[in-house]
Amino acid sequence: MAADAKKGDRWTGWLFISPWLLGVAVLFVYPFFASLIWSFTEYDLLTSPRFVGADNYERIAREVLAGEGFGKALWNTFYYAAVSIPLSTMLAIALAVMLNWKVRGQALFRTLFYLPSMVPMVASSILWLWLLDPRDGMLNAVLALFYETPPLWFQGMQEGVSLSTPFQFGSKDGLTLMSLWGVGNFMLIYLAAIGDIDESLYQAAELDGAGVWQKFRNITLPMLSPIIFFNLILGIIQSVQAFTQVYIVSEGTGQPAESSLMISLQLFLAAFRDLEMGYASAIAWVLFVVLALATWGLFRSSRNWVHYRGGRLS
Amino acid sequence: MALICVSGLFIWPLVLMLLASIKPAEQLTSDPFSLVPQSVELDNYQQALQAIPYMKYLANSIVLCVGSVIGTVVSCSLVAYGFARLKWRGRNLMFAILMGTMLLPWHVTMIPRFVLFSELGLYNHLAAIILPTFLGDAFYIFLLRQFFLAIPEEISEAARLDGLSEFGIYWRIVLPLSKPALITVAMFQLVASWNDFSSPLLYLSDHEKFPLAYGLEQFVSSYADQTHLLMAASVMFTIPMVLLFFVAQKSFTRGITMTGSK
Repeated sequence: MAADAKKGDRWTGWLFISPWLLGVAVLFVYPFFASLIWSFTEYDLLTSPRFVGADNYERIAREVLAGEGFGKALWNTFYYAAVSIPLSTMLAIALAVMLNWKVRGQALFRTLFYLPSMVPMVASSILWLWLLDPRDGMLNAVLALFYETPPLWFQGMQEGVSLSTPFQFGSKDGLTLMSLWGVGNFMLIYLAAIGDIDESLYQAAELDGAGVWQKFRNITLPMLSPIIFFNLILGIIQSVQAFTQVYIVSEGTGQPAESSLMISLQLFLAAFRDLEMGYASAIAWVLFVVLALATWGLFRSSRNWVHYRGGRLS
Repeated sequence: MALICVSGLFIWPLVLMLLASIKPAEQLTSDPFSLVPQSVELDNYQQALQAIPYMKYLANSIVLCVGSVIGTVVSCSLVAYGFARLKWRGRNLMFAILMGTMLLPWHVTMIPRFVLFSELGLYNHLAAIILPTFLGDAFYIFLLRQFFLAIPEEISEAARLDGLSEFGIYWRIVLPLSKPALITVAMFQLVASWNDFSSPLLYLSDHEKFPLAYGLEQFVSSYADQTHLLMAASVMFTIPMVLLFFVAQKSFTRGITMTGSK
């Protein structure tokens, strides 16, 4: 290669990435440090920030212990993630496995399963508000057959997956149901991964007399485990970032009784309703640390259950 | 057949939405879930269009989508080219930083960005939402980089020997070869902009400037008991995305599966 071409490359590389360089400086580096500094201040946007030490973090710690404010939001987000991620993982894998059966109209079924994921979140929130209306909703019309008092969904603070109010589904369970309906993206990822599994593995297992369940348990699941791992991380991030649907089904309040007040909404309200930018910044940093810890924990545990083709990595 | 039942469950809410949008209002209260509308009330759509400034919102949505798609495709393809097709000092470090920005939740940067954009006078302007797309997006850059890496280096070498500038190679050779990937990124951004609710909520205060995603939410609070109108408005808001999916199904599927198999 000619020497002058190389010389040119040194600067053209930076030139090509310059839009992103500007972006990272303006949209990441500056906000990163600004929000870190503001988290130690009291700041209402109108007057300049006033240093208050670790007050905001102390307040967060108090709220976590008392289960109010941020503590409440943390619990809601945890409950939503802990219920919706396992359920949607199972559903997505089940759908992908079913779609992989060699049946007629496979493409049609794939489209049907995926279609709800193309419905904009605002529209699907409006739709489910109606379907899950406690009195006039479609789902409760069906559930009335099984319940004396059907669940309150978005108007209730109950938690259906619990020992104290089992099957009394409340606002977070409604959001979970919505997330299950929109499972199409995950399903497509699993579908592609199942298609990549070597057919000869199944043939060998059949020769050994393995049944349908055994093949799924001993071949499909282990082969999918890297993808499951990836999707679990994606799922955690998505539940923590859930905002639009939470905002719309509770009309931007997190009500009733703060039962649908997820972290994203709580942070938004603290910042732009209460103008407590310092406290909100501190929430963002606590959230960042919690997310990082959760991801790290998942990575640690993955050594025990994620199988990489051609041996384990790391 | 299990598949038919399960797919029925998935599609049923959409069928109900469609039916509710054409049923007369009285039927929706008396007998909301029957599969047979007493009459087809296309007038619901007419009313929904007038209940909110639908056309105004639609125009804003289109401006947002077109601006953001242009910004994303231009900036991300340039940056991805720099990372994939050029060798330079500091490239690996910069790429690590790029990947690192994906791990930072938006919560951390939201407030300072808002303050900055307000000080730049962008508050209550669509530009506050469009401009950042011209500064690249880590995920799309990563996606395009993977695609650019797969283009044989010999093609670039030959073009360099022919005296084509680096920008010329990007523009006349790499971009045309990458149409499928560019279309995937454009589609993803189009959907993201159409659906985006939180940015307008954050940056726009003036009804004149709302895009549909945000305007529709205003509709919910004021017309909560007018289900037929709400559903008609939702159907109109949803249909472009469904059509887009059918037209560009391949690009979507490829993009989504690429996410999983990094």
